[in-house]
Parts: sequence; C-alpha cells; structure tokens
Amino acid sequence: MSQYKIIFTGPVGAGKTTAINSISDSPPIKTDAAASDMTKSRKAATTVAMDYGIMNLSGGEKIHLYGTPGQERFDFMWEILVNGGIGLILLLDNTRADPFQDMKFFLEAFDKFIGETGVAIGVTQMDISTTPTIDDYHVQLKTLGIKPPVFAVDARVKNDVSVLVQSLLFSLDPGLEEEA
Amino acid sequence: MSNNAKSPLKVALHAMDERSVRTMVMYLKGPCQGAAVVVDEASAEVDIFDGDNINAKRLLTEHLAKPSSRPVIVLSLQSIRLDNVVLVKKPVKSEDMLGALAEVKARLAQQKINNPPVSVDTSLTDLPADKPVLKNYTINTDEQNKTSKHQTAMQLNEAAFGTYIGNVQGVDVNDPAQFANATYAPKDYFQGYIQSAINTCQDKNENLQLHSGWRQLVLFPQSHEIWLDADDKELRAFASLKLEHAPSKKMSLSPFKTESLALTNALEKFHSMDAFVWKLACWTSKGRYPDSINIDHPVYLKNWPNFSRLLITPHAMRIAALLVQEPRTLGDVARLLNIKPQYVFVFVSAAHALGLVGQARREADELVQAPDFKPLQKQGLLGRIISKLRGNKA
Repeated sequence: MSQYKIIFTGPVGAGKTTAINSISDSPPIKTDAAASDMTKSRKAATTVAMDYGIMNLSGGEKIHLYGTPGQERFDFMWEILVNGGIGLILLLDNTRADPFQDMKFFLEAFDKFIGETGVAIGVTQMDISTTPTIDDYHVQLKTLGIKPPVFAVDARVKNDVSVLVQSLLFSLDPGLEEEA
Repeated sequence: MSNNAKSPLKVALHAMDERSVRTMVMYLKGPCQGAAVVVDEASAEVDIFDGDNINAKRLLTEHLAKPSSRPVIVLSLQSIRLDNVVLVKKPVKSEDMLGALAEVKARLAQQKINNPPVSVDTSLTDLPADKPVLKNYTINTDEQNKTSKHQTAMQLNEAAFGTYIGNVQGVDVNDPAQFANATYAPKDYFQGYIQSAINTCQDKNENLQLHSGWRQLVLFPQSHEIWLDADDKELRAFASLKLEHAPSKKMSLSPFKTESLALTNALEKFHSMDAFVWKLACWTSKGRYPDSINIDHPVYLKNWPNFSRLLITPHAMRIAALLVQEPRTLGDVARLLNIKPQYVFVFVSAAHALGLVGQARREADELVQAPDFKPLQKQGLLGRIISKLRGNKA
C-alpha cells in the first residue's frame, strides 16, 4: 500500500509539533530534546529529529504527518522526508524578527516539492504580534508569483489546523468533495 | 552497488550531536548511495562540519589551523568561503552532496601528488553571526483577550445554510433563468454603511464612531478592528433589513476618543474588521450576489481569504481554490463544482466586500475563461482526508 504523508515545516517555535498533535489520532512521536544552542531563546525543548503523527481514514488508510526539525542544521533530512508527500504545510512564527525571510527560505528550500504538489501557509502567534498582517504576507508572496492560502493559525486549535490542511487539499483539486 | 559505494570516502563528522550523526550516517548510506561512510576522526580522509552549529566557527577555525591536508566540507545556510573548504548550502540536496564528495575525492587524488597545508582565509573571522531571531514586541494581554477577533472559523455545511445565513423571498437564486434578479445592492443595507464608514476612517486614519440609531459601533483603522455593542444574532437580524426606507437611514460618523468609553471592559466585542465585514456580507447576501458584479463576466480572486478567522460558507474553500487559479463566471463555478449557485453568490458577496474579487471588464477577457479543471487521480483519498478533518469520520 502507498504511504501518504503531509509535511509540516517552518522555523523553530512556529508550532509544527503542536499542529501535528492537534490533528493526529495518536499522540505524536516526539523527538524533542533540551535546546542547547541558538534555539534556547525560543523554546526550552526543540525537535531534533522529526515529529510524527497519524490520521486514520475510513477504509483503513493512514495519512502520516511529518514535521521537519526546526533547527536548520538538520535539514539534510528534508529531501528524504518530502518524497511521496501530498503537500506542504508551512508554519511561520509572527513574533520572529523577519518572518518574511523565513517564508522565503522555506519556500525556496521546498521549491521543487511545492511545484509538484502545493503549499498552505499558517501564521502563528498573531495574538501576540499582530504585524505583519496576513495581507502583508500576500504582498510578499505576490512578488514571488504564487498565491497560496495564508491563514492566521493557533496551532493548539484543531479547527485552525484542519482548515489550513483543507485549503492545501482544495488547492490541489478544487473538485474535491467529502467522501461518504 | 554504485561505483561510489565500491570505494566510499571515509568522512569524520564535526559540530554534530549524536542524533544528527546517526541521521547523517543514514543519509550518506541512503540518498547518497554509499558514496561516503562515517568513520572516526583518525581514519578519515575528509571532514564534514555543520557550519550552523553554535560551536562551528570555533571548531572550524581550530580544525583549519591544524597541519592537516584533509579536505573539508561545510554544510551551512551561510555562504562561507574558505580555502580548501567545499560548501554545501542548506537545505542539503543529494545532488549537491554527491557533487561535493566527488570534488573532494578529486582533491585527494591531486594531494597524493602535491600535499599543501590548509591555510585559513582571513574571511573566517568574518563569518556572519546568527541574526537575532526575536522581534521587539510587547505582549499585549488585551489583544489575547479579544476572543471574537481570534476566534476560529465556523464551517457551515449545506444543511445549516438556510438557518444561519437565511434565504430571500420571491426569487429562486438557484434558477439560472432568475440569475439577473438574484442581486442585491450592499449600499441599501447596513453592510454598505459599514463599508463606507471603514473607507472614511481609513482615509482619515482616525477612530470613528458610527451613529446609526442602532447599537454603538466604533471603528479603529490602525488596529483594523470594529467594536460593536451587539452579538451575532442581533447583527444578523439587523444586516438583513433594507435601510433605504427606514428612519435610521441617515447615519453619521464622529471622532471617537478611546478614553471616552471603557471599551476595555468588553474586549470580546472587538472584531477583526475583515471578519466583521465578511459575515455582515454573508447575512446581507443570503445567497444573492452584489449588483456591481456582471453575472456574464468571469470573476477572479486576488488572494485567498483568511479562512481560519472567517465564517466559512458551504463550499467556500473549493470556490476560492478555483477562482484564485483562473477567472470564471459565477454560473460556471457552480456548474464545475456541481453546487447550488447560492453558495457561489454568498462567497463572492463576502469576498467582494473585502475587495478580494476582481472582474474581467473587457469583452476579450470572456474569451480567456479557463477550461474545466482536471481532477486528481487521488481525489478519493483526498476527499476522505477532508471528511476526516471535518470530523465526519472516525
């Protein structure tokens, strides 16, 4: 049976682990460790290998949810991770110094995968830092020539993550309907 | 077995912890087809550094200062330029990694003839320091208590449409023969007054209070918020009233001093301006479309609405996905998605109120309306994921 997966990526502290936890049917397998370097200023523990969650579908299929490690020094795994993926969820932390730079970095890093599938962007921490706004992100994306969904997201809220993933799937095929 | 795997390069890893060393071992064995194997430092031919490790700069400097003739590969986000160092830019791609390994292999062959000491380029000390990742901001607890503003989306299904959005009397908006009559004029409703007030407060960049003869409403252009002393049920009822003949038609704006009312005691009454206008347009439309839209001309979506903070009407995300790709007429959208036109009309009304909808005005634009889209092979699977996400299936 084919292995279907959705990839969650983004910088340290953007909420990838939490987002996977929000929609996973089983507690995600976390590989967090005490942060000992630059990530320490962002969160006490950070993901050093990958997060993994699973969604069980009717009919017995499983959708695997993979989170890339937040620390960029582990990103040689990305190429392996995206192989066969359905699409990419990019989470950005609005409290970081330059979230646009983060966005461009990840869009460029996953350029090939996004071109073959699709991407939906969730902006987290907007209740803490209200700027840049979602409109500002669209302005930046326009210069890159793409129009993906960009939503404000609280990674702890299942519905926020659900809506974001739905938008990714509808981007891939607007003709999708709920399966009975 | 590849040629590389027959005589793999022996590499030592630096500035990596145990977990990343294990991952690197698997990476070299798998995607890099065994072109290199990880060995201890004493046996290695090549050294590989994680250039973004916090200690990388020091370790690399110390390493390059040693009288070693071994080539060095650095994996980094930064564009590091050092003598005898091969940079592999992150995110590392197998192709790049294999290229770097081939390059150092060639150098090793050359070094058998001539083995010069590795010199340290002065630019090493100029390695860019990590950029500060923290933004300067003050945590505003008031912002976090604006519960309506940050409320997650409500996703309506078809069954809930009539109850929550409502229907218009006297016209069947789903009958193509009656499409011409399925319009409404936003300016005749509270929606039009609100949109006009928003334009004014944004032009003046000033907090304004709208005097409508109804509930107190204040607009905050800088924070892009609206404060309304009414709940959704009351707003929904008021939204559907045609105001052109009502005594309250005359509405006015006046400057609003923040300190003149203790709004902070009712933070839950703050709404995002966009979310407010969006739902107001849905309740005003009731499945009709704005009279400024030409039903025969294709429309397009400038960008996706921020759905996670909006009222999601039935099929709204499908319609958005379609219209963000190509311009289409409203009737064509309904036909392609096999949905009732009222769902297209209500979505377009809300998106139009936010200025997200554009319409091809020239005759020639009609000719370039997009062809039918091609469904994905995995449509069934993706549909089951949608069902799962909406909580319909365990």
